[in-house]
Amino acid sequence: MEGNDHEIVRAVLAGDKDAYGALVARHSQNVFRVAYRITGDEADADEVVQEAFLRGYQRLESFESRSEFGTWIYRIAVNCALNMINKRKVEATYQIGEETDPSQHQVQVADSAASPERSLLSREIEALQRTAMRSLTATEKTAFILRHMEGRNTTEIADALHIAPNAAKQAVFRAVQKLRRSLAPLRVTL
Amino acid sequence: MKHFNEEELVEYHYGESDSAAEIKQHVRECAICGAAYLALSRDLSEIVAITPPTRDANYGEQIWQSIRSSVQVYEAPKKQRFGWLQLHLTHGFAAATFLLVLAAAFFAGRRWEHRNPQTPTVTSNTSDSNGRERVVLVVLGDHLDRSERLLVELKHAEPSTEAPMQAEARELLSANRLYRESVKQSDPALAAALDHLERVLIEVSNEPAGLSQVRLDELQKEMNTDGLLFEVRVLRSRVQGDVEQKGSAVATNKGVSI
Repeated sequence: MEGNDHEIVRAVLAGDKDAYGALVARHSQNVFRVAYRITGDEADADEVVQEAFLRGYQRLESFESRSEFGTWIYRIAVNCALNMINKRKVEATYQIGEETDPSQHQVQVADSAASPERSLLSREIEALQRTAMRSLTATEKTAFILRHMEGRNTTEIADALHIAPNAAKQAVFRAVQKLRRSLAPLRVTL
Repeated sequence: MKHFNEEELVEYHYGESDSAAEIKQHVRECAICGAAYLALSRDLSEIVAITPPTRDANYGEQIWQSIRSSVQVYEAPKKQRFGWLQLHLTHGFAAATFLLVLAAAFFAGRRWEHRNPQTPTVTSNTSDSNGRERVVLVVLGDHLDRSERLLVELKHAEPSTEAPMQAEARELLSANRLYRESVKQSDPALAAALDHLERVLIEVSNEPAGLSQVRLDELQKEMNTDGLLFEVRVLRSRVQGDVEQKGSAVATNKGVSI
């Protein structure tokens, strides 16, 4: 179905249930992206997408036409994803390996030239990054992902997480501190 | 010279500082803050964004199809010409009717009291019926809950020759048949989901030698157990909502049933 999101929302509320499919098609990729970044798991992200659009449909009457549907459904998805990681403690999905001894990483960072070693290094950094992510609380992780990877500002993060802007700012800051602490071993040999 | 702390530098890094110009100037001039900011920027730049796996162009359609049967059509608001006039008339009429009914009820009540001295009688049929329905819903909710757990187990199952999952499936199967039959007329959507669930339960319970990896994959693919799991979750939350609704109805009726 063509038309802007507001027209489609009106059509759905007027009884054209299938028009909602166009909204799902239009926004599902974005919703999946943020869901995956937060949950870190494909199946969980798919479930979050389903749940977000289902909730969106059920609450469509409360959608205010002055806001954007994309932003609105994005917020719902973030909330669903946060619930998901809270429920399942999905930080475990960030696992790459069992290696957590920081001393092992100290000798693995040296050369910045592009080489097989370099790509190995990238994987090491990613692995360490994922391990570091697991040290964050669900709120910290979500706030950090929204800030650092999704480029959302403090107000948007606060809205999505239903917390005060100051709490959102603090969550991002705590996440940065913890991540820097966890990634510090990489710095030793630089 | 006022130094800036890490929190202020983080804010500045993300472009949200109120003192951006001041910090910019300061990190240029102050060696300590300059080094701190450089280290912060370097650390943050190395935290790369997680790249999600790709989803094809039909992804949205697949998602819509997976939730389509779980949503209900919104009723179109009726359009009215001269709506404002009708609104006034409707309000006026409603107010007049309300007053009339109130007055009639008052006088009828007075006459009734004179003719029939009040005796407490139990007239709680509605309440009883609500209570019964609630019990049924609670039991059904429990069944869906157990089914959900079985499907989750199935989703994450390792190949095994043990049979606890089969035993649970057999138990659920007989109950599932009863529920499916009882809601066949009243709730076709629920009946369809229970039917799907029953087919999966039959497959699981009839595996004689445990579940091999191949069989698990087949089950997940052929029976679309992931889709079913989602369907069961939706139904469970709906039944849960109904239970709460009935619960509050029973609570409300309690006060007026005598």
